[in-house]
Amino acid sequence: MSKDSQMRAAINQKLIEMGERERLKELLRAKLVECGWKDQLKAHCKDVIREKGLEHVTVEDLVTEVTPKGRALVPDSVKKELLQRIRAFLAQHATL
Amino acid sequence: MKMEDMPLSGPDNTKLEALVHDIYSELVEDACLGLCFEVHRAVKQGYFFLDETDQESMKEFEIVDQPGVDIFGQVYNQWKNKECECPNCKRLIAASRFAPHLEKCLGMGRNSSRIANRRLASNNNMSKSESDQEDNDDLNDNDWSYGAEKKAKKRKSDKNQNSPRRSKSLKHKNGELGSSVSSEPYKYNFNTGISYETLGPDEVRSLLTTQCGVISEHTKKMCTRSQRCPQHTDEQRRAVRVFLLGPSAPALPDADAVVENDGFDIPDGQTLMSRLQWEDSPDISPTDSASSKASTNHADSRRPKKKKRPSLGLNSAGGGGGGGGVGGGSSSLTGGSSSSQSNISLSTKKKRPKLSAPSISSIYDELN
Repeated sequence: MSKDSQMRAAINQKLIEMGERERLKELLRAKLVECGWKDQLKAHCKDVIREKGLEHVTVEDLVTEVTPKGRALVPDSVKKELLQRIRAFLAQHATL
Repeated sequence: MKMEDMPLSGPDNTKLEALVHDIYSELVEDACLGLCFEVHRAVKQGYFFLDETDQESMKEFEIVDQPGVDIFGQVYNQWKNKECECPNCKRLIAASRFAPHLEKCLGMGRNSSRIANRRLASNNNMSKSESDQEDNDDLNDNDWSYGAEKKAKKRKSDKNQNSPRRSKSLKHKNGELGSSVSSEPYKYNFNTGISYETLGPDEVRSLLTTQCGVISEHTKKMCTRSQRCPQHTDEQRRAVRVFLLGPSAPALPDADAVVENDGFDIPDGQTLMSRLQWEDSPDISPTDSASSKASTNHADSRRPKKKKRPSLGLNSAGGGGGGGGVGGGSSSLTGGSSSSQSNISLSTKKKRPKLSAPSISSIYDELN
């Protein structure tokens, strides 16, 4: 297990070092805005905020409310594309 | 590194897939977290709910999508046929034309004070003395030509031909001129000139004294530059003046009325004319009265600036109050000049005693 976590850390470091993580994040954000995911989540946020009251909302509340929904709402096409790119990156650097 | 990576690409595909999914969910959570921060910040800064209002106003300002109305549900051409009443002339003017009309009607614009002045002048024509009227005309004409010089050709033609106000006022003026027969031949003569057919003879004359005036072959408009404009030669300018003013000179002796009107000239113009007459033919004999007349005309053509204008100005006044005044004046003057034998014979020869009398009397005055 220690080897597994070690490997993860190495891969993460590699992602960050190569700048691939930033690129992927940017890609994901653009795609999500494009497909309306952001607007949907914002609407959900509004509901949450109204429910809790404008003054009493915390970031933690929002994260716990929004994250599951956000994960579920990501379109399949976006998810596939992202996974494909991660795989390609790993394959490229595994063969080195 | 290779050592670590090799097992990944090996047979353990499920491990690799799990890793890929982990990275993916990490990214999605990142995005969610970013959104949460964004929303939270917006809430705390107070601009999160700015873009939405209550339902009522949402309904009220809903975008209308129907044929014939704009997005606010208003009929978009409702102002199209609106008319405004001019406070000055009480006419109904289309709203889009109201400002230009007002400018002309009130006479406060750049170009229009002249027109307004002209209208005022023509309205007060009857009450004004002849010289006043003439001064006014002079002023207006100078105004006009000055403005025209500064303006482009297009503007000028626009003013001359297309402006209804202008042609109207001009017509009005001609109508008052109409009593004098001499204006008619002028008009016909100038009808040959195309773009300036709307101009009165006075205007053509003053124009030619201040401007180049050469008629373009293409546009048929007159050149509005100064008399020394380099585009045209002196030859051309002379030709135009002969063309425009030349025909009017022979027209003068033909029409008796013109000569008659010459007799009605204002005093100083008359003295000038008679002086010329005197100079041209020092001893006026009864026999060459016709020739003296011709010489007068000759003098006219030689000094178009000074001479033509008064003779025309009197035409306009001839129909007005000129007749009585001159009649009275002539009777008193004939009394003064009755001692001269030649004068009497001249006047009888001419068969227009009233008319010739003042001129002769002034000649007589000159002698004294």
